[in-house]
Amino acid sequence: MAIKVDPNLNVIKEIQEVGGDTLKKCYQCATCATVCPLSSDEAPFPRKQMILAQWGFKDKLLNDPAVWLCHQCGDCSKYCPRGANPGDVMAALRLLVIKEAVPFKFLHTFYNRPLGLIVLPLIALFFIFLGMIATFQGMPNLFDANSFPYGGPHYDIWIFHLPARVLMIDVVFLPLAAFVVIILFSAINRMWNAYVETYKIPQAYRYGMWTILKTYFIPAISEILSHSRFVKCNANNWRANPHKFLLYSFIILALTTAIVFVMADILGFHTPWNPLTHPVKWLGNIGGILLLYGIIDIMVGRSQAEAEKSLRTSYPDSFLIYLILFLGLTGFGIEIIRSIPGLKNITSLVYLAHLVIVFMLFLGVVYSKFAHLAFRTTAVVFDLYFKDVVQKMSK
Amino acid sequence: MGQLPILVVGGGISGITAAVEAAEVGAEVILIEKEPSLGGRVAQLRYYFPKLCPPTCGLEINFRRIKSNPRIKVYTMAEVMEISGEPGNYKVKVKIRPRYVNDNCTACGECEKVCEGERVSDFDFGLRKTKAIYLPYPMAFPMKYVLDKDALAPGDLERIMAACKYNAIDPDMKEEIKEFEVGAIIWATGWKPYDATKLDNLGYGKFTNVITNMQMERLASPWGPTGGKILRPSDNTPPKKVAFVQCAGSRDENHLPYCSYICCLASLKHSLYLAEQDPEAEALIFYIDIRTPGRYEKFLRRAQEEARITFIKGKVAKIEEDPETKDLIVTAEDTLSGKKINERVNMVVLALGMQPSIAGMEIPGLKVDENGFVFYEEGIIGCGCAKMPLDVMTSNETATGAALKAIQIIKRG
Repeated sequence: MAIKVDPNLNVIKEIQEVGGDTLKKCYQCATCATVCPLSSDEAPFPRKQMILAQWGFKDKLLNDPAVWLCHQCGDCSKYCPRGANPGDVMAALRLLVIKEAVPFKFLHTFYNRPLGLIVLPLIALFFIFLGMIATFQGMPNLFDANSFPYGGPHYDIWIFHLPARVLMIDVVFLPLAAFVVIILFSAINRMWNAYVETYKIPQAYRYGMWTILKTYFIPAISEILSHSRFVKCNANNWRANPHKFLLYSFIILALTTAIVFVMADILGFHTPWNPLTHPVKWLGNIGGILLLYGIIDIMVGRSQAEAEKSLRTSYPDSFLIYLILFLGLTGFGIEIIRSIPGLKNITSLVYLAHLVIVFMLFLGVVYSKFAHLAFRTTAVVFDLYFKDVVQKMSK
Repeated sequence: MGQLPILVVGGGISGITAAVEAAEVGAEVILIEKEPSLGGRVAQLRYYFPKLCPPTCGLEINFRRIKSNPRIKVYTMAEVMEISGEPGNYKVKVKIRPRYVNDNCTACGECEKVCEGERVSDFDFGLRKTKAIYLPYPMAFPMKYVLDKDALAPGDLERIMAACKYNAIDPDMKEEIKEFEVGAIIWATGWKPYDATKLDNLGYGKFTNVITNMQMERLASPWGPTGGKILRPSDNTPPKKVAFVQCAGSRDENHLPYCSYICCLASLKHSLYLAEQDPEAEALIFYIDIRTPGRYEKFLRRAQEEARITFIKGKVAKIEEDPETKDLIVTAEDTLSGKKINERVNMVVLALGMQPSIAGMEIPGLKVDENGFVFYEEGIIGCGCAKMPLDVMTSNETATGAALKAIQIIKRG
C-alpha cells in the first residue's frame, strides 16, 4: 500500500507557535498513550496525533475526535521520555482545529496573539457603539449613568416595551449569538461526518442526528456535568474541580441571562433589580461568585503546576482565563459601583467594559480556546457512539 | 621498566584486561576492586556477548594470568577516595575494608556450614540469602571467604572460628587507608543497573514477578539462586509467557538520557535462555527500536529463529498485578496497529539501563560527565562501561587501548 506523505511545513510551524513547540522531540515510544487515563484501547492517543502533527497532517487532525478527548491532564508529559510534552501539543492541536474548522480565520488570530488585545475590543466597541448610537439616537454621555445605560428613549415594538439599553443589547448580541450558533452548527456537522469516515463506521450504524442526540447526547451531557473523564487525570488532578465550578457558573449565568431576557425583554419587567431581594439576582450572584472562585482557583493551580513544570500555560490559555476573570470582575463591578452614590457615574464605563468582554467571549465561543465547549462535547458524544458501535460489532 | 606503576580501578572484565595487558608487557600494575572478588558484572551473567560464552570462559584464563604475573598486585574490597597529582605522578588514596578472613583461607567451606546468620546476597540482586560468612561465587578470585560481621547471629563468631582449621578468621581486622604513587590510572569501574524502583509505573518492588534483566541472568546462572532454572519468584514455577520491557530507564530524560546499548541484545539473549529451558515458552519483547548494533544484527536473526518471540513496537508504560495468580498485565500501545495491548504474562523482565557505578559519587580528582561517565583525561583513562555503555567485547578493546595509553604515560615518566 502506497501512502503519499506530503508534510505541511506551515501547519507544523503554526502548531509550534501556539504552544506545541516541543512536538518534534517525540520519538513515538507510545508511553503517552499508555499512561493516559483517558485514552481508549481501540483508539489510543496522543502518540498518533503527535506523529500526525510532526508531519503537519492538518486534515487528519481535523477529523480526529481524540484531539478533543484529551483534557490535558499532563500524565503523558510527566512520563514522556523526551520532554515532548504531548499534553501541551494536544492543546496546540485543538487551537489549530478550531481555526481550521470555522470561517473568518483571521478572527482566530486575535485570540491567539497579543495583537488581539487591541483589535478584539475595537471590534466589540465598533458593534456596541453602532447599536448604541442607533438605539440611544446619538452617542450618550459615557460619564453619566443616567445617560448611559439608564437613559435614552423607550421603544414600543409590537407588544414589547423596551428601554434603549435593552434594545441595544438585543441588536448587538442576538445577531452575534445567531452568528456563533450557525458557524458552530455547520462546523460540528462537518466534523461529525469526518469523524464517522475516519473511524470507518459501517453504514448500518450510521444513525440520523435525532437518534444520535437521543442515545448519546444525554449521557454525554451527564458525563460532562460530572466531569467523569476529567477526574481520571493523575498529574494535574486539581484541574477538574475548578473547571467544574466554572462550567456550573456558566450554566447558572446563562440561565440567569435567559430568565432576564424573558422577564425584561419579553414580559417588560425591567432591570435594575434589587440584588438583595430579587431571586433572579440571587441566582446571578451565585453564578458570579462561582465563576470568580473557579477562575481564581484555576489561576492559582496553573501557576503552581507551572512551577512544577507539569503544565504550561500558553498565551491563548491566559487570554481566556483573564477574559473570564474580567467578565466576573466587571459584572460584579456594575452591581457594586451603581449602588455607591459617589461612584455611580463610572457605572457607564464599567458597563461598557462588561459588554466588550461579553462580546469577546461570545465571539470566543467560536474563535478562542472556549470553542472546546462545543467541539469537545461533540467529540464526547462521538466517543460514546463509537464505543457503542465497537461493542455492537464485536457481538 | 623502572617507572611508577599503573593503577587499575575496577576488577571487572575491562579492568582485568587492562591490568593483564599492561603487566604482560612489563608494567607494574596495582589492581583494586570494590567487591570481595574480581569478575565484576560478567561473573553474574549466564552467558556473555558476543559468542554467548559462560563467564568462566573469559574470567578463568585471566585470573590465571593475574596469578602467574608477579607484576600485578590485587586489592579487593578497596575503593579510591581521592586522586591528586598529574599525569606521570599521581597520589591515590585508597580505602580497604576489612575482610575478616586472611590469606590462610582455603575456601574449604567448613565455616559456612556452622554459621547461622544470613545476609541478602547483592551478587544475586536480592534473589537469595547467603550465610554471614560466604564465598562471593564459586570461582571467586581471590578464592577466599568474606565475613559480613553485621549479619552474624549470636555465637556465630565462636562457631566459625572453631570450625576453621587454618586460623583464617581474623575478627580484629581494621579498615586500612593506603596511598599509592602511580604514573597513570585506568578507570574501569563499570556499571550498575539503574534503580528500577524509580520507574514507578512498572511495578518493580511492588509486584514479585517483575524482575530486572540482571536478576534474569542470576536465575539462568548455574550458580544462581535457582541452580539455573528460570523460575518466577512468586511461586517458583517456570514462566510460560514472559514480557520484556525495553528501554526501562534508558533513552529517557527523566532517568537515563542515553541508550544503554546492551539491553535489546540482553532481552534477545534471555529469550534464548527461555527457549533453551522450554521451547514452548513465549517471549514478548516490547520495544521502541530494536537496537542490535553492527554485527549483532545476526544475533537478532538467530533469536528470531530459535526462540518464540513476539515483537511489539510500543513501550510498556503500565503494569498491573493479578493478586490471585500474581500474573501481570502489561499495557502498551502497539504503534503498528494503533491499538492498545493488554497482555497477561507470568513474569516481566525490565530491560534496565546501565548507569555508571560511580554515578552520584564525587571522587576528588576524577572528572565525570553529567551522567557519571568518566571523561578522558591524559593520565586518567576510562575504559569499559565506566566510559560508555558497551558490550564485553568492546569493553575489552577499550581496555587494551587504555593499557597502551597508560604505558605511554609511565614510559614518558
